Amino acid sequence: MNPNFYESMLPAVPTQFSFLADVNDGFWFPKQASSFAADADWVYMMIMWICVLFFVPMVFCMVYFPWKYLKPKGQKAESNVSHNTPLELAWSILPSFLLVWMFLQGTWSFLDIRTPPDGAYDIGVQAFKWGWTFDYGNGTFHPELHVVNGEPTKISMRSSDVIHSLYVPAFRAKKDVVPGRYNFLWFQPSVPSEKVGETELTAAKAAFEKQGGGKWDYETNQFTPDGFRFYDLYCAEYCGKDHSRMQTVVVVHETQAELDAWIKQYSARDASEAPSVYGEKLYNRRGCASCHSLDGSKRVGPSFQGIYDRKHEFADGTSSDADANYIRESILVPKAKIVAGYAPVMPSYKGQLSDDDIASIIAYLETLSTNKTSSESAPAETTSTN
Amino acid sequence: MSAGSIPAGRVVRDPGFPTERENYLTTSKGAFSWMFTLDHKRIGIMYLVGVSSAFLVAGLLALAIRLHLMAPGGWLFNRPLFTSLTGKDPNDIYNQVFTLHGAIMVFVFIIPSIPAALGNFLVPVMLGAKDVAFPRLNLSSFYLWVFGALFFISALFASGLDTGWTFYTPYSTTTDSSVILATLGAFILGFSSIFTGLNFIVTINTMRPPGMTWFKMPLFLWATYSTSIIQVLATPVLGITLLLLIAERTMHIGIFDPEFNGDPVTYQHFFWFYSHPAVYIMILPAFGIISELMSVHSHKSIFGYRFIAYSSIAIALLGFLVWGHHMFTAGMSSLTTIVFSALTFTVSIPSAIKVFNWLATMYKGSISLTTPMCYAISFIFLFTIGGLTGLFLGTLSTDLHLHDTYFIVAHFHYVMVGGTLVAFLGGVFHWWPKMFGKMYNELGGRVSALLVFIGFNLTFLPQFVLGSRGMPRRYATYDPEFAFLHQMSTYGALLLGIGLFVALIVLLMSFWNGKQAPANPWGGATLEWMCTSPPPFYNFDRAPIVGDPYDFQFIEWDSENERYVTAEPERKLAPEEQPVPVHAKH
Repeated sequence: MNPNFYESMLPAVPTQFSFLADVNDGFWFPKQASSFAADADWVYMMIMWICVLFFVPMVFCMVYFPWKYLKPKGQKAESNVSHNTPLELAWSILPSFLLVWMFLQGTWSFLDIRTPPDGAYDIGVQAFKWGWTFDYGNGTFHPELHVVNGEPTKISMRSSDVIHSLYVPAFRAKKDVVPGRYNFLWFQPSVPSEKVGETELTAAKAAFEKQGGGKWDYETNQFTPDGFRFYDLYCAEYCGKDHSRMQTVVVVHETQAELDAWIKQYSARDASEAPSVYGEKLYNRRGCASCHSLDGSKRVGPSFQGIYDRKHEFADGTSSDADANYIRESILVPKAKIVAGYAPVMPSYKGQLSDDDIASIIAYLETLSTNKTSSESAPAETTSTN
Repeated sequence: MSAGSIPAGRVVRDPGFPTERENYLTTSKGAFSWMFTLDHKRIGIMYLVGVSSAFLVAGLLALAIRLHLMAPGGWLFNRPLFTSLTGKDPNDIYNQVFTLHGAIMVFVFIIPSIPAALGNFLVPVMLGAKDVAFPRLNLSSFYLWVFGALFFISALFASGLDTGWTFYTPYSTTTDSSVILATLGAFILGFSSIFTGLNFIVTINTMRPPGMTWFKMPLFLWATYSTSIIQVLATPVLGITLLLLIAERTMHIGIFDPEFNGDPVTYQHFFWFYSHPAVYIMILPAFGIISELMSVHSHKSIFGYRFIAYSSIAIALLGFLVWGHHMFTAGMSSLTTIVFSALTFTVSIPSAIKVFNWLATMYKGSISLTTPMCYAISFIFLFTIGGLTGLFLGTLSTDLHLHDTYFIVAHFHYVMVGGTLVAFLGGVFHWWPKMFGKMYNELGGRVSALLVFIGFNLTFLPQFVLGSRGMPRRYATYDPEFAFLHQMSTYGALLLGIGLFVALIVLLMSFWNGKQAPANPWGGATLEWMCTSPPPFYNFDRAPIVGDPYDFQFIEWDSENERYVTAEPERKLAPEEQPVPVHAKH
C-alpha cells in the first residue's frame, strides 16, 4: 500500500490513548469549559447508568436463557405461559417514571442553556461556505471566536448561503445557523485559554513566515497565531464540499481588558501599515483564503495568482480586465459577473468591509500580479483608483 | 411415516414435498413467466433479489466511506485513481458517496426490504390465502421500485448527488448535482411503498381464513399491518415535499429557499413528518420477524401476545407525533422543543415492552440455537443498545451536544443495521427453506451471525465515543485526535463485510449442495409451515382452519425423517378438513 497511508496511520497510534492520558479529558467527553457543560454531562452519565441498570439484566437473560434452556430437538418447552398481565403492566409502567425523570432533568438544563441572561456580551457571526466571520463591533471582524472567561456571551448568528451549525464541543453548545433568520446561542465560558510561551510562539511564527504565509496550521501548533490555546469550533450541519474544514477556534480570555486589547489589535488598519500588507491579513482573516488560492490551484473561486489586470471570461460570454473597479464590484456584488467555470456562490461583503479594507485588498491583489515587487508603491496607486 | 419420536396414537400430518408442477418456482418457466407473474411469491423473490443488489451497492459505498476515514486527512478518495478518474476533489467524492450510501440504503433497500420482499412472500401464505388482494397492483409496485432505483443509479452516473439523503434546503435547491433525478426516484419509490402498504391492509382486512380473528394473527402480520398504515398515511407527505422541492429548484416558488422568502426549517418539518414515521416503516416489520423467530425457535408460545400486538399499533401512531426531535438545534420555540422531547419519550415504552416480552419468551422454553435464532438474539442485543441510546437524544440538554455528531450515526445504525438488517437476515435464514426448498449449512449460518455481530459492534461502538467527544458527522476529514476510534470503526466495517459475505455464500451454496427442505424444518405453528417447501403455486388447496399461531402442543419432531410434523390425537375430521382428492386440484 501507499506509504502515506501508514504515515498517516502510525502517528495516530500514540494519540489513540491520548484522550485517556490527558488529565483534563474524560473517556466520554472533551474538557468541560462552560458553565453548563458539567450539567449536561451529569445528565448524560445519569442516563447512561440507568441504561446500564436495564441493559445488564437483559444481557444476562439473553445469554443465560439460551444456555439454560437449550434443548435437543423435539423436547417440549418447560412452560407455555402465554402472558402475565400484572408483570407486563409492571414492566410497562415502572420504567415510565424513570423516563419522566430523564425528561425533566434534560428540560431543566435545556431551559438554562436556552435562555440568555440580560446584558450578555453580544458577538455576531456570519457563517458562509466554508468559514466563519465573527463581528466584534466597530468594524472589527475575525475568523476566530474570542470571549471572556465567566462572562455570559450571546452569539447572534446568520448565514449567507445554506444551513450551518455552530458547535463547540467543550461548551456542549450547538445551534443551527439558518439563512433567512437569526438564531441565538449563549454560553458562559468557565476555563480560560492558556497562553503559550514566548519561545514556542516565536518558533512557530518563524516557521509560518518560512512557509510563506498562507493558512495558519491550528492542528499542528495547537495554539493560535496570537499564542493562545483554544477549543475547537466545528460546523455540525452538512454544508457541502469543505464542510469538514469549516472549523475555527474559540479562545477564552482571562479578562475583558485582555479581550479588548486583542480586538484593538485587529480593528482598522494602523496608519503606519501599508495597505497591501493589511490586505494580506484581510485575505486570511475574512475568509477569502478558503475559496481563492494564491498558487493558481482551482478552488471554489478563481485563484488570486496574477489576478490583477488579467482578462476574465465570464459565464455570460462577456469579458473584462480585472481592474480595481472590477475587484471592488466582485467583493460587493459578487454575482454581477461570474467567471466562466465557477458557481455563483460567493456572499456579498457589502457593509462588512470598509472602503479602506477594500482598497487594501486591491492593493494586496496587485502585489500578487507584479510578483510581489513594489508593496510600497501600492498604496498610492490604489487610492487613486478609488 | 410415524417415527419413534412421536407419541403413539397420534395422526401425523405432513404435506410432504411439492411436485415440479405444484412448486411455484418450477410451475412455469422462462423469463416472461417471472416478469409478468402475478404470483405474490415470485414478486417477493424478485424484490428479494432487487433489494439485496441495492444493499450490495450501498454496502460497498459504506466500505468506501470507512476506508476513506482511515486517515484524518482522508485516504481512499485521495488516491490518484479516484481524483484523476473523476476529476473531483476528494471531499466532493466523499460527500457524494455518503449521500448515495444513505439514500440507496434508506429508500431502495431498508424501506422495501422486509415488507416488500419477505412480506410479499409471507403475508398471503400466513393467511392461508392464494394471493394478495390486488396482484396486479403488487406487480406494478415492483416495477415502480425498479424505476425508482434506476433514477437513483442514473443520479450516480449523471453529476452525482451531494445533498445527504435528507435533501435539506437551501443546499439542495442551490447545489448543481442531480437533485431532481434523485428526488423523482424517491417520489416513485414512495408510490411503490404506498401500493405495497395498501395491498397488505386490504389483504389482511378481508382475506383472513376462518378462525383467524385479529388476535389469532401471527405477530408478523400485526407488524406488517401497522407498517402498512404508516406507509399509506405518511408517504404521500414525502411525495408532496419532494414535488415542492423540485418546484422550488426549478421555479423558485419561494417556500423553502430563503433567497425567495421561503423558510428552510419548513422543509425540515415536511421532511421529518414522513421520515420519522419511515423509521418505524423500517423497524416495525423487523419486530414482527423477531416475534416469530423467538417463539418458533424457543418452541414456546410468544409471551404477552396482546402487548406486542398493541405496541406495534402504538408505535405506528405515536411515531407520527415525534418528528420534531430531529430539529432540536434548528431554532424551534422552547415550548415546541419541550413538547417534542416529551412525546419522544413515550415512543420508547412500546419498544421496551416488546424487548421484555421477547426475553420472557425464551424463559423456560426449549431453545434451538439455529442460525435464525442466533440472528434474533443478536437483534435483541443490538436493538436494545440502539433504543437505549435514543434516550440520550430525546433528552434535550444531552441532545444539544450530541446532535449531528457520530453519536447519532452510531444510534441509528444500531437501530437500522443492528435492528432491521439483522432481523432481515434472521428472517431470510428462517424462511429460506420455505422460499427455495433448500436447507443451508447450519454451522456456516451461525458463523456468519457471529461475524456480523462482532463486526457490527466493532464498527459502531467506537462511534458513540467519537460522538460524545465531539466529532461531527458527514466529515470527509477530521482532527487527528479522533483517528484511533475511526480506524477501529473501519476494521469493524471490514469484518462486518466479511460476515455478510459469508452469509451470502452460505445461502447460495444451499442451491448447490443443500438438503431438500421439509415443510416444517423449525417446528413453526403458523400457516406457512403447513404447506410444502417451496409452497405450491396456489399455496393451499382451500382456506385452512386455524387456531392459535403459537400453540406448539401438537408440533412433534420426527427424528426418522428429520422434520417437524403436526401430530394430533385421532379425532373426526370436519368436512372442510378432508383432504382434497388429487383429481380435484387446481
